[in-house]
Amino acid sequence: MTTIGEVGQRTRFDVREFARTARGNHRETLQLSEYALSPLNPESVRMVRYLGRLEGATMEHLRNLLVTATHKDARVTAFLVTWAFEKFWIADALDAVLEANGMERFQDVAEGKVRKSRSESADRRGPIRRALSAIRLGVPIVAVHTTTGLIDEWITRAAYLRLAAQSKSAALASTISMILDVKKRHQDFFDDESRRRLAESPRAAALTRKTLLTASWPIGAVDRAADDRSFFEEYVFGGDAGVASASEIEARVASLPGLDDRIGSAVARKLLP
Amino acid sequence: MDQMAFDVDKYTATSVSVNWSDLDLESFRDHPLNETSLRTLRYMTDVEYHTVCYTRDLLTTPSHKEADMSAFMTMWNREEFWHGEALSTVLGIHGITVDFDEVKAGRMKLGWKDRLDPIKQSVLGKIAGNDFVAVHMAWGAANEWSAIQAYNRMADLEEDPVLAELLKRIAKQEARHVAFYTSQARDRLAGSKKAQVLARFALGNFWAPVGSSIMEREEVVHVMNHLMSGPEGRKAARKIDAAISGLPGLQGLKIVEDSLDKLGIAA
Repeated sequence: MTTIGEVGQRTRFDVREFARTARGNHRETLQLSEYALSPLNPESVRMVRYLGRLEGATMEHLRNLLVTATHKDARVTAFLVTWAFEKFWIADALDAVLEANGMERFQDVAEGKVRKSRSESADRRGPIRRALSAIRLGVPIVAVHTTTGLIDEWITRAAYLRLAAQSKSAALASTISMILDVKKRHQDFFDDESRRRLAESPRAAALTRKTLLTASWPIGAVDRAADDRSFFEEYVFGGDAGVASASEIEARVASLPGLDDRIGSAVARKLLP
Repeated sequence: MDQMAFDVDKYTATSVSVNWSDLDLESFRDHPLNETSLRTLRYMTDVEYHTVCYTRDLLTTPSHKEADMSAFMTMWNREEFWHGEALSTVLGIHGITVDFDEVKAGRMKLGWKDRLDPIKQSVLGKIAGNDFVAVHMAWGAANEWSAIQAYNRMADLEEDPVLAELLKRIAKQEARHVAFYTSQARDRLAGSKKAQVLARFALGNFWAPVGSSIMEREEVVHVMNHLMSGPEGRKAARKIDAAISGLPGLQGLKIVEDSLDKLGIAA
């Protein structure tokens, strides 16, 4: 299996090693009893629930990817199998935190209405329209998927760090540190794949630029409740610290191969409340 | 979904990648498997690696919105991926490399028909709504039953103790998948006459042996001849048919035997 190979000067992400060392059930490490003494405040609970919903939506996301040419790339799909497994257990850890705080699991709580916005219609497409438009797009779509995956990792990472700082809970900070450690490899894979694909194919870069101009964040947000999305934007990217965090992501996006300042600021604009 | 016979939480908590570290796979260097078996094994490996593609077809229907279904499919995908890894390790010892790029080449051959598949599935899914999930579950059950019979037949035919043990472990995981699919299919079919009619129609008209949509016809014929021909093969086929017939509204279906006849596999 050619999972290890040289890409330029760097070693390629080892998908087989990633699969072999996947990290599952975290329940033993969550310090859940701590919450009995110092429960999370309502805002932190709301963020935990929202992040749980985002992490738990892997099957919806997989559907959107797999109806396109991405399903033909066996290396990417091999990665996604383990990625979904790890995210399942991240969502489970967040559920456990909710339960330890006397709350219901996120899937047992009804969600509010989604945000109605015509500019997000591309992200709201169902599988049929995605499959139809993907026939025309072909293989370069894989770069779009890995790049949006990478940016999504940067955004959720900012959200977790913000939550760790704001919650003032040592137990939650420790859980978040574990989650970010698991997610680091997801980011590494997307980083590796995106830079290579964007650099290699002008068509892939063009298609990615076009997608990023209108994409909404984080991935899967269009399926989430409108008021939760507004809360997330305010919580993570509100205030001076939030703006600084969005600017950092803006700079990173702009510096990806084939992308530029215009794309960076389009992404950042979507993050701010 | 609270009344389900299958405990998804328990399943997810105990789902593991199949283990072969304690098996002496190196023994194949002295006692290699024959060409016929290796070709069948290669087919099985490809099918296991392709599981994620079947997920896509399931996902385009309303089923992905249900938490239990998502949880099951996450673990199911991973277990099947590891079956692929286990089998490709056996092939590797025989000097046959199955790398991700080769799998990719296989998927590329699917062409237009494959590209349209998720669209077709979605349209059907939309029309029939939740009843279509019942069809998928019955379909999934038929595939998992087939996998168990195929692995058992392979173990019987080869009479290699190491291979038999590995296949037994894989089949044991497939049995849990069967349990999920049948419990889902049974509940959903029992609750809807429309779902029964739809499932009967879909399985009766469109079902084909697992792997038919991704492998060349000659490979399908090879595997069916190897595992499902002759009296013992037919017996295995009838077992699968009997299991499928046990689902509500599917009495009398003989989809496996029918498909063997269609492929010209001798009884």
